[in-house]
Amino acid sequence: MTSVIEVEHLTKRYGAATALDDVSLSLAENTVHGLLGRNGAGKTTLMSILTAQNFPTSGTVRVFGEDPYENARVLGRLCFVRENQKYPDHFKPVHAFRAASYWYPNWDQRLAERLVSDFQLPTDRLIKKLSRGQLSAVGIILGMAARPDVTFFDEPYLGLDAVARQVFYDRLLEDYSDHPRTIVLSSHLIDEVANLLERVIVLDKGRVVMDAAADDVRGLAVSVVGDAAAVAAFATGREVLRRQSLGNVTSAVVKGRVSEADRARLAGSGVEVTPVSLQQLIVSSADGGLDQGGGVGAVAGSRRGDASVARARNGGAR
Amino acid sequence: MVDDSKALFLQIAERVEDSIVDGSLAEDSQAPSTNELAAFYRINPATAAKGISLLVDKGVLHKRRGIGMFVAPGARRALIAERRAAFATNYLDPLAAEAHKLGLDVDELTQLLRERFTERTKA
Amino acid sequence: MTRISNVVRLQLVNRQAYIFVPLIVLGGAVLIGFLVFLLVPYGGPKYAIGATAAPLWSFVVVGIQALTLSFPFSQALGVTRRDFHLGTVLTAALTSAMLALIYLAIALLEKATGGWGMRGYFALSGLDGDAPLAALASYFTLAMLCFLSGYWCAAIFKRWGTVVLLTVLVGVSVAVVAAALLVIRFGAWDAVVGWLVSQGVLGLSAWGLVLAAGLTASSYATLRRVTQ
Repeated sequence: MTSVIEVEHLTKRYGAATALDDVSLSLAENTVHGLLGRNGAGKTTLMSILTAQNFPTSGTVRVFGEDPYENARVLGRLCFVRENQKYPDHFKPVHAFRAASYWYPNWDQRLAERLVSDFQLPTDRLIKKLSRGQLSAVGIILGMAARPDVTFFDEPYLGLDAVARQVFYDRLLEDYSDHPRTIVLSSHLIDEVANLLERVIVLDKGRVVMDAAADDVRGLAVSVVGDAAAVAAFATGREVLRRQSLGNVTSAVVKGRVSEADRARLAGSGVEVTPVSLQQLIVSSADGGLDQGGGVGAVAGSRRGDASVARARNGGAR
Repeated sequence: MVDDSKALFLQIAERVEDSIVDGSLAEDSQAPSTNELAAFYRINPATAAKGISLLVDKGVLHKRRGIGMFVAPGARRALIAERRAAFATNYLDPLAAEAHKLGLDVDELTQLLRERFTERTKA
Repeated sequence: MTRISNVVRLQLVNRQAYIFVPLIVLGGAVLIGFLVFLLVPYGGPKYAIGATAAPLWSFVVVGIQALTLSFPFSQALGVTRRDFHLGTVLTAALTSAMLALIYLAIALLEKATGGWGMRGYFALSGLDGDAPLAALASYFTLAMLCFLSGYWCAAIFKRWGTVVLLTVLVGVSVAVVAAALLVIRFGAWDAVVGWLVSQGVLGLSAWGLVLAAGLTASSYATLRRVTQ
């Protein structure tokens, strides 16, 4: 598949703080990518460098094979509305949409109007007077109706209620089906967007800890709960992302697929096997995840579990 | 609706197969399109397309140029045969394991099964 | 060129900041001026130059917001910094020219009507008989300088933060004061005043435009690396 964005060894430092640490990845044409990770993982910084709104400390970024900085040919094919996007002072949503229509040849006014009514957005109110959710809706409408070759959505659902979020996901899928393009959806609500994604990129503390096809991530790990000895036997030779024990019961998140034979054996010894959702997997993989919910006798599993998840990208080559 | 343990495209393929097995999607009728599946299950269209192409490879669906995907003749029979073959592994093995754990013997298990079957036919 | 004119259209999608607010300020100030002319019981010529200067201040704010608000918005839409800068300075020039024309109209009108029949004057050129071109040039230059000083300060602030901006502003002030002290120290005051007078309004406007060009260039150099 053709890649539209290539990033090599990208590092961004702010003084002593490292926002992005040796990030290398490529984004494929006409694909929905999830850029996942906790707040502060570097998602917005990465997107702002890809769109030349920010500058790398080292490393290279190529968009459509070119340097995006001050490159109108490249930048005109991108749209990146920030989660905390600023708008001119006297702007109402209608002004923002009109301005965008000057810049994007594929701007779809009918889609914009439909989304306005879906989100019940008051287009005649000053943007600075809008609620958080309405502000998010303005960003979503800009990104969707502009239909550029690459759209970056930066936590686009903030302040939207469950219904409005579902409207966004449905409309995005619908429009993407009719007009395939490259979409980067940054999110920390991982389970909510998991099914929309074809490619999953996870950032943690500025590093890429996972870059894989969504299909390969599903079923990448299982959660096993039951008799400590049986769990230990199952876990032997596998990578344990997280392990907790209480008395003689162990709960573990274990990488690797479970064969039917494994399943039968585990069921036979009373061990419950449940799938791990993408969100659980990421929480377990990230260093921070190991500190969460550590109950009595919690034992940190493989501290460097994240590095190995990153290797999953090789398995996910398309 | 969606299970985390299996690749989504496999699940989509299974859903379509389910409809063929239970007869709601008849042979020679048009199968749902990629975009319909994507919108219905709220998944990426590429994933839905992957599920569909899996069924095409299996010979369950075939493409009629310019119209869409159709259920192949004989697909239902083939799918049922396939599922029967997998029935023991998928259902009987876990059943036997659980029964064993609870101390149920074969006769008790058979009795329970018979009761369930009777209830089902009544309903 | 299309991209630059698109920035002008973007800036003027909502005409409030660049056009309506300055006009409303001007209109309000002129109305108050009329009241003052009516109420002040003084037989001689009365001047309310501040009324026509008022909208210039709104251009300082417009210049600041062009950089702090419109620039980030243009970035979201994939506008290059160069196009944004050129289009924005062009918008400021167009609207400054509009204000200058209104100022000229006021000057000509009050000259023709003998100070609106009340010997009241808003425009400097109305009293000293300067050429209309001088009125136009001086007002245009002042409006541009107001806009660009806001824009320039905001660019420095966005790129380097408060401390650097304050340092630069203090530095500029110190330089001006030092220059004035030197002039006094060497008793060159008469020479300086003489030079200013010799330049005339047009000449001073030209120097003002040189300063404006300097601010434009330095703002652009700063803007090229501004991040949010």
